[in-house]
Amino acid sequence: MTDKPKKALVIGGGIAGLTAAWELAQSQVDVELVEKSPFLGGHSISYCCKATDECVKCGACSVDKMLAQVVSEPRINVTLGAAVAKVDKGGKFTASLDVAPAYIDAEKCDNCGECFQEFRNTGAVVRGYSKNNTPLYAICADAAKDVDAAKLAGVCPKGAINLDAKATKKKINADTVVVATGFTPFDATKKPTYGYGVRDNVITGMELEALIRQKGQVVRPTDLNPPAKTAFIQCVGSRDARLGNLWCSQVCCAYGLRMARKIKYANPEAEVKVFYMDIQSIGKNFPAFYTQCKEELGFVRNIPVDVYPEEEGRMRLSYADEDTGERKDEIFDLLVLSIGITPGEDNAQVAELFSLDQDQDGFLVEKGEGVFLAGTAAGPKNIPASMAQAGFAASEALKYIGVTK
Amino acid sequence: MNADKKIIQIATDVLVIGGGTAGVAAALEVAGQGYKVVLTSKEDKVAQEAKDGAVADLTAKAEANANIEIMTNTVAADVKGVPGKFEVTLKTGDAAVEKTFGAIVVATGLTTTVLNDAYGLEMGPKVVSQSELEAMLAEGKLEAGKTVAFLVGFGQEGNPLVMQRVLDSLTALTKVADTDAYVFVGDIKLAADGLDALYAQARQEGVIYFKTKETPQVTVGDAMTISILDPVLRQRVEVQPDLVVVEEAILADEDNAALAVPLEIEADNNGFLQPDNVHYFPVKSTRLGIYLAGASRDLLSFEQGLEDAGNVALEVKKFLGDGNLEVPSNTAFVDVDKCTVCLTCYRCCPHGAIYWDSRAIIAESACQGCGICASECPNDAIQLGDYADDAMAQAVKDGQGSAGKSPWIVAFCCKNSGLEAMKMAKAFGYRVPAGLQAIEVPCAGKIDMDYVMDAFVQGADGVMLLTCHNGNCKSDKGALYASWRAEEIKKMLAAVGMPEDRLVCASLANNMGRTFSEISVELERSIKKAGS
Repeated sequence: MTDKPKKALVIGGGIAGLTAAWELAQSQVDVELVEKSPFLGGHSISYCCKATDECVKCGACSVDKMLAQVVSEPRINVTLGAAVAKVDKGGKFTASLDVAPAYIDAEKCDNCGECFQEFRNTGAVVRGYSKNNTPLYAICADAAKDVDAAKLAGVCPKGAINLDAKATKKKINADTVVVATGFTPFDATKKPTYGYGVRDNVITGMELEALIRQKGQVVRPTDLNPPAKTAFIQCVGSRDARLGNLWCSQVCCAYGLRMARKIKYANPEAEVKVFYMDIQSIGKNFPAFYTQCKEELGFVRNIPVDVYPEEEGRMRLSYADEDTGERKDEIFDLLVLSIGITPGEDNAQVAELFSLDQDQDGFLVEKGEGVFLAGTAAGPKNIPASMAQAGFAASEALKYIGVTK
Repeated sequence: MNADKKIIQIATDVLVIGGGTAGVAAALEVAGQGYKVVLTSKEDKVAQEAKDGAVADLTAKAEANANIEIMTNTVAADVKGVPGKFEVTLKTGDAAVEKTFGAIVVATGLTTTVLNDAYGLEMGPKVVSQSELEAMLAEGKLEAGKTVAFLVGFGQEGNPLVMQRVLDSLTALTKVADTDAYVFVGDIKLAADGLDALYAQARQEGVIYFKTKETPQVTVGDAMTISILDPVLRQRVEVQPDLVVVEEAILADEDNAALAVPLEIEADNNGFLQPDNVHYFPVKSTRLGIYLAGASRDLLSFEQGLEDAGNVALEVKKFLGDGNLEVPSNTAFVDVDKCTVCLTCYRCCPHGAIYWDSRAIIAESACQGCGICASECPNDAIQLGDYADDAMAQAVKDGQGSAGKSPWIVAFCCKNSGLEAMKMAKAFGYRVPAGLQAIEVPCAGKIDMDYVMDAFVQGADGVMLLTCHNGNCKSDKGALYASWRAEEIKKMLAAVGMPEDRLVCASLANNMGRTFSEISVELERSIKKAGS
């Protein structure tokens, strides 16, 4: 008689959750992977490749690769659109899930995209970021209320859309849990002087990631032209005592500088300026990378406070000149806010459900008892660091359930 | 294909080189997977660094573990053999023993060096290194009422590990009565957990930071002076410290370079043993069966070293399993009759998989199936599983005429990048030329020049070589080989009067569907334009 395989519950389908799930499955553990959104991959699946003529080690490609591995791994069962309502622990864990209605039948959908083509402007059908998402499309229930239901249901040539699908409940038993619920991106409207949400050409670094991923290049939201002058403002929401955010997000210098160079690589005529407090060392060969950055980009050690509107969607920044100390004004076509990582908005609830602690900043802290943490749920991290921690969480979980010692 | 699945027996003992915390933790984790471990330390003991008592605890556990044999004062003097069967000579003093291991974990440590030259300073009682200050603070030797100045970030770019030490010292300094502390710093490197809070806290306790681009001028004598132009006050500021603390660089173990040679892996220009390539993160090396924990691969913290130990154990388990290794179908195979032992394959193999014994031999347990050797072999003596030359030629032939009215474009796509990008383009409805025929290769390094010329001979209107970006190739140099070959082919095309732009060699990531579409559509457009 062989032992029944052990089972692990992984909460969160971002890069940390995907990695933990995959590593556990490689050790012959059955995995229930639960994701609250309709797509696997988390924030990082929307990130772009930042290579110039060579790879700059951002790790965005690793997310697609890991996602492909996870969806083809038979030991991993994925539940999308699911929220954990309750967790009971009596020896084993029993999680009660509320699962959102599956308006698109994953078995029937062949990702043809006709629903999206027809309804993308209404917001009723949304698309994921990776071809490895199946389905690649989801119905947004709120927006779907405003469209012709019969037309939406009928648009699918495979008959995969069922708007009468109901929410369901599901119970999962598991021997151990990995919590990988990720982070909440800093809400840039909390720094109102930048005009985010008011001016269309003020975007966040994460929006720029998705833009490059989808368009293959950087364009201004208003006219879809490559910007001649772009400014990156670093530390938006990080290292900010007034907000009480006394941490470095550990990723913004990396993505900011890498995308700044990507803009310059695609368009050598373009001008890019980076406004910063302290540039953080990123990657293994940072001195060489930074030297290149200094040749290609402008660096200003000053965080501008105010952004003023100018003609044709441009913006004027005021800042103190580093050499003279005098006020300087400069006009940009595109303003990128390098927003940071903040604790997941559900962290208090997650801590309560899984008996975890929170640190002074609100990130999650392990308390033992078979629940392990992976990725940005536990604090700011880049993609490779999230993957490393997820592997470690998996190895700790394997010890807890006795697969290893 | 599963019918002729080939199993080879491999050794399952594991050697862990390096008795620091990452090494001890890795030994414990690997032993926890059920393998016997030999842990070597070049010192006379293991894990001396102390951190909250956690290290002593780890060491005690390792010493008590029946599956771990600890060999102190011991170095791996030589490594022969192949993954799954490494023959290692371990030297303890003059005594040498040979042992066989299935896998090797390298967990060498870090060293430090003081950067006084960057400031033109001689070290002395009033000019001390970061390490010397730490010792003074630990022993309570810093007198009350002193002014202490730190110099950091001018002799090196710096990193959070360097800054953590400074911040920890500042925290300790603020507890010594009547101490004034000044920090002269370039960029403050805070990209690690808790550092920004420590930085802010020290500032609140009265520590003054001067952030400047210019290296501070230090004059030494009976009264020392440090002078800078304060970028905020816009005037020259002078500080008269009693003690100057000079930053230290934290560097890779100097033994790494020598260790890399017998392990058949490469040390990078900073002396770390892992290539800067996301495919190897977190703990893989270019060679199967050799794993890297902690500071052997990068500048990592104590906590990251422990994480690596867990990841190493997972990788060791995946490779060694129960000692029965299933050989993948796509390992390379040498035709004995054709091999002239020129050893081109040995030199170009990025995975240390090839050795020789009157002919080149490819170790089945080490081959990662990239096919670079097969394409570089001047005698076509090497074939690669599903990607043998005749199969590739047939794949091109199969596409002939499939294009109909559209130009026929043969796209050789690395399965890790170009092929995925094409699938993404199709899934997202980005335009892909109707006449494009994608041919999968395991790595762009497998795109033989013959395949490309053959495609043109068969009548292809255009050929694409789609590789990973340099530095992202899973087989390290496959993308480079492909780009070099493309240059050569372009010369040949020019010689026969064919437009060079019929051949496109481009690097893509798996998530660059949009760019795949643009590149392929552009090639189609230029073919059509030339034909009209």
